[in-house]
Amino acid sequence: MAPKKDPKAAAPAKKPEPAKPAAAPAPAPEPAPAPPAAPAVDLSAVKVDFSPDQLEDYREAFGLFDRVGDSKVAYNQIADIMRALGQNPTNKEVKKILGNPSADDMANKRVDFDGFLPMLQTIVNSPNKAKFEDYVEGLRVFDKEGNGTVMGAELRIVLSTLGEKMTEQEIDALMVGQEDENGCINFEAFVKHIMSV
Amino acid sequence: MSKTADRDNSGKYLFGESDFKNSGLAQTDWAAKKQVWIPSEKEGFEVVSIKEETGDDVLVELDNGSQKTIRKDEIQKVNPPKFSKVEDMAALTFLNEASVLHNLKERYFSGLIYTYSGLFCVVVNPYKMLPIYSEKIIEMYKGKKRHEVPPHIYSITDNAYRNMMQEHDDQSILCTGESGAGKTENTKKVIQYLAVVASSHKSKKDAVSGELEKQLLQANPILEAFGNAKTIKNDNSSRFGKFIRLNFDITGYLVGATIDTYLLEKSRCVRQAKVERSFHIFYYVVAGAKDKMREELLLEGFNSYSFLSAGHVQVPGTEDDEMFTETLGAMEVLGFIEDERIGMLKVVSTVLQLGNIEFKKDKNQEQATIPDNTAAQKVCHLQGINVTDFTRAILTPRIKVGREVVQKAQTKEQADFAIEALAKTMYDRLFRWILTRVNKVLDKSKRQSVSFIGILDIAGFEIFEDNSFEQLCINYTNEKLQQLFNHTMFVLEQEEYKREGIEWNFIDFGLDLQPCIDLIERQNNPPGILSLLDEQCWFPKATDVSFVDKLLNTHSSHCKFTKPKQHKEKTMFSVLHYAGKVDYNATGWLTKNMDPLNDNVTALLSNSSSAFIQDLWKDTDHVVGLEQMTKMSESSVASSSKSKKGMFRTVGQLYKESLGKLMTTLHHTTPNFVRCIIPNHEKRAGKMEAHLVLEQLRCNGVLEGIRICRQGFPNRVVFQEFRQRYEILAAGAIPKGFMDGKQASTVMIKHLDLDPNLYRIGQSKIFFRTGVLAQLEEERDLKLTVIIIAFQGRAQGFLSRKAFSKRQQQLTAMKVIQRNCAAYLKLKNWQWWRLFTKVKPLLQVTRQEEEMSQKEEELQKAKELAQKSETQLKEITDKHAKLLEERDKLQEKLQAEAEMFAEAEEIRVRLEAKKQELEEVLHEMETRLEEEEEHAQNFQQEKRNMEQQLKSMISDLEGLNCYR
Repeated sequence: MAPKKDPKAAAPAKKPEPAKPAAAPAPAPEPAPAPPAAPAVDLSAVKVDFSPDQLEDYREAFGLFDRVGDSKVAYNQIADIMRALGQNPTNKEVKKILGNPSADDMANKRVDFDGFLPMLQTIVNSPNKAKFEDYVEGLRVFDKEGNGTVMGAELRIVLSTLGEKMTEQEIDALMVGQEDENGCINFEAFVKHIMSV
Repeated sequence: MSKTADRDNSGKYLFGESDFKNSGLAQTDWAAKKQVWIPSEKEGFEVVSIKEETGDDVLVELDNGSQKTIRKDEIQKVNPPKFSKVEDMAALTFLNEASVLHNLKERYFSGLIYTYSGLFCVVVNPYKMLPIYSEKIIEMYKGKKRHEVPPHIYSITDNAYRNMMQEHDDQSILCTGESGAGKTENTKKVIQYLAVVASSHKSKKDAVSGELEKQLLQANPILEAFGNAKTIKNDNSSRFGKFIRLNFDITGYLVGATIDTYLLEKSRCVRQAKVERSFHIFYYVVAGAKDKMREELLLEGFNSYSFLSAGHVQVPGTEDDEMFTETLGAMEVLGFIEDERIGMLKVVSTVLQLGNIEFKKDKNQEQATIPDNTAAQKVCHLQGINVTDFTRAILTPRIKVGREVVQKAQTKEQADFAIEALAKTMYDRLFRWILTRVNKVLDKSKRQSVSFIGILDIAGFEIFEDNSFEQLCINYTNEKLQQLFNHTMFVLEQEEYKREGIEWNFIDFGLDLQPCIDLIERQNNPPGILSLLDEQCWFPKATDVSFVDKLLNTHSSHCKFTKPKQHKEKTMFSVLHYAGKVDYNATGWLTKNMDPLNDNVTALLSNSSSAFIQDLWKDTDHVVGLEQMTKMSESSVASSSKSKKGMFRTVGQLYKESLGKLMTTLHHTTPNFVRCIIPNHEKRAGKMEAHLVLEQLRCNGVLEGIRICRQGFPNRVVFQEFRQRYEILAAGAIPKGFMDGKQASTVMIKHLDLDPNLYRIGQSKIFFRTGVLAQLEEERDLKLTVIIIAFQGRAQGFLSRKAFSKRQQQLTAMKVIQRNCAAYLKLKNWQWWRLFTKVKPLLQVTRQEEEMSQKEEELQKAKELAQKSETQLKEITDKHAKLLEERDKLQEKLQAEAEMFAEAEEIRVRLEAKKQELEEVLHEMETRLEEEEEHAQNFQQEKRNMEQQLKSMISDLEGLNCYR
């Protein structure tokens, strides 16, 4: 093997990794071959720092997600709530905050509002830093013609097979009205669209 | 099959199925799993993923989930999916055995049998017919550059041809490989292609052209009939090497061809292994010759020939008697006359018959006798020689001992040996004669040939259990060919580097092979193996063992020479060829090298009554005669040996010489290398035995070529592609707007912070050391995944917020409904409210709305009505206007008519007046006419009266006269 700088070692020197856990940047899909189990986030140490107005909004939103009526929400709803509240965490980040629970726990374990706040705070403290240009840069890779568009079908495959795989319905909802008559998507416009809400 | 379907189908075997390289799907696994190859018993190599690395050991997980620890230097890197089924394996970023094997396998299973590996074109025998050799495909490859079309032997051929035309360089195409790998088939395809391409230059006006190509293609069946045989590995195995030289004139038109052959395995006509056959022609003749010809050739049944030890072994799919007719047909095309054909077949029959001559040991003497000379008689009849002379020549030949000539009785062993040697040489000479004859036909054109394409079809490197003199010859050949390849590659690489302006001292790897070649062919100081062998052949009392001893003494310190330790036999020695160590067994080498022959018999044959036989044996000077043989066994020092020495040549010498000639020819050409691979020994389609293929890749120099490749910068990416694919790694490094490819790539590479020794920037592309691209691929993958995940987070946020805002709206709506419901419940039982609800409908006010809407409706209706009327009115007005217009037009017309009428009236009046006038005139005329008529009547009357008067007067006068 040729002597070459370790890409991982070199990584921090370059663009800041959007994901916080720099320790394991390997994009391990589902059964990750045991990425060194990230130490669970100590939520008790997180200082919650929201204004009363915010707290009220959050509580209300939180309440909206309670489908049982015990003023709690399931683990698998946490990501959804955070996103509803304007954050853009990856599934992995959320799982990490939850202490990497099993699929069963995700569906069955519940958390109340007070338990939720430090989680939200953690995410708010380290937001998804990727910018418009980063996304555009990433999607440009799939621009075979070099004309600023990508095939809708290709994008579907990318989003459904790479990274944190998305479902067909999610992708459908995402791409509604984005494809032109040839099935192409102007990816700059697309990214703008996604970032508009 | 329809034509379009045919084409579609062939596409599958050339281009492969859909493009998988860039699909996101393939990308995922590779980067995530850290896959590597580890050696495997069954598959050659298998893919595993790395779990843990500790020092020199690596813990890996196999496909079936089990784990295994393996040494670090045993693993080989897996190439990124971008390189899946690459057409040129030199492009692989991890150039290792496992990847090469994997790529070949993948392609083979997809029906893609041709693959490039740098300069090589590797072809795996598909063991089935593929639709990739049609006229259409030939058209497709015509004039295309190598990289423009999928790998194919046609592409190699076409490029060689174009090169020859443009550069006026002679070309050669070198096909090597194991038996059954498809060398001969590919050689045929080359000729087929050239026959089509090179004759289309000048249209059909030249009738000869068609003939030459036909003859060229028909020469093959003849050579195959005499030179091919069925072996375990191959039903139609060429038992000789050949070099076909196709000559072209200045316009690229095929003008002739010559064929050289090497190392015919002549021992095959004497004995064959089980289930193998002797040369095809023996079976063709015995099965196919009928009636008169059968008698003339004195043929017998299959089972009565001891040289056809297994009787009539059939070749699946072909009928020997049909092939016989075909072979005769081919001879006719090539202009073999009747005498020649019969002469050839007689020799074939003779060779068979020779095997039936049996010798017995005389009861009390060592001397051999022939109890039954029927077979000998047949032989002599066929060869046109005297039977007595023949038996004497065999049993008691005249031999020169010292200065005297004596008759020496032969033992049974000696006689048997002599007969076999005779049979072999006879067949060998026949084969050479055919070749000369064929060449005479193919090379008769008077037109000037300016360049040629040579096609070499020769066995590849051989490592058997037991390796003999033949293997040494063939391996020596391959050693030379590999040197040629290495040298060519060196030259080409050098040129490319120079073209791209890259500083790099490339080592000439051709030199790597020189020690081994020297070991074999060196004349002296110290003499090589072949020279030593020759030397031993002149040495009295020399044996195979003394030869090996001599070898050991001379070369014990040579780096390519060893003595195998595991073998106790004294005739063993080993040579370290580039393809691996080969243990040679020198048993019988002295005899093999001298190839001695009973010169008494050859003298007889050269004086045969048949002109054909005479011709066959005309130059017998070089034969190693009996006296040399005698010398070997007798102790007396042969005094005449020195004078005789120059007269004959050893097999080794002859071979070295012909190989030398071949190499000189090849060195003056631009070589193209084709490597044929046999995928399995069962002749089965779709099966690839990993170890078998690996062994061949090693032997045929593909792996060697790769080794050399790795020393330089084997991966080359043009700027454009480099930028497109890896710009993501240097985001922001390249400013917006235009930047030329080289500059952009330079900036990018600087940004990537690569060790400068890992790449070179040329004029049009970047050169990388092996493995660097994989690293870039991996980084690109990681980076891409990070971005995609971030984007997915963003997208999920988008979706959640959308859903949330919808939910919030729903919430607001729900609140409104709730408020109303609550209000209603509160009021429901309040009396005043109830009253209100009762009264409300009765109140005028409450009805106002209703009325309003009623009125509104009415209004609407009225409006509609009005609108309708209005439109009607408008319609009518329009009509009116139109009518008025019409009326005006009519009036005008009327006036015009009236005027015309008045005019006409006037004319009429005038005409009336005129008429009156004329009538009057008429009247007048009539009256005048009447008057005139009256006048006329009067005059008539008068005239009559006058006539009467006259008459009376005449009569009067007459009367008067009478009176007179």
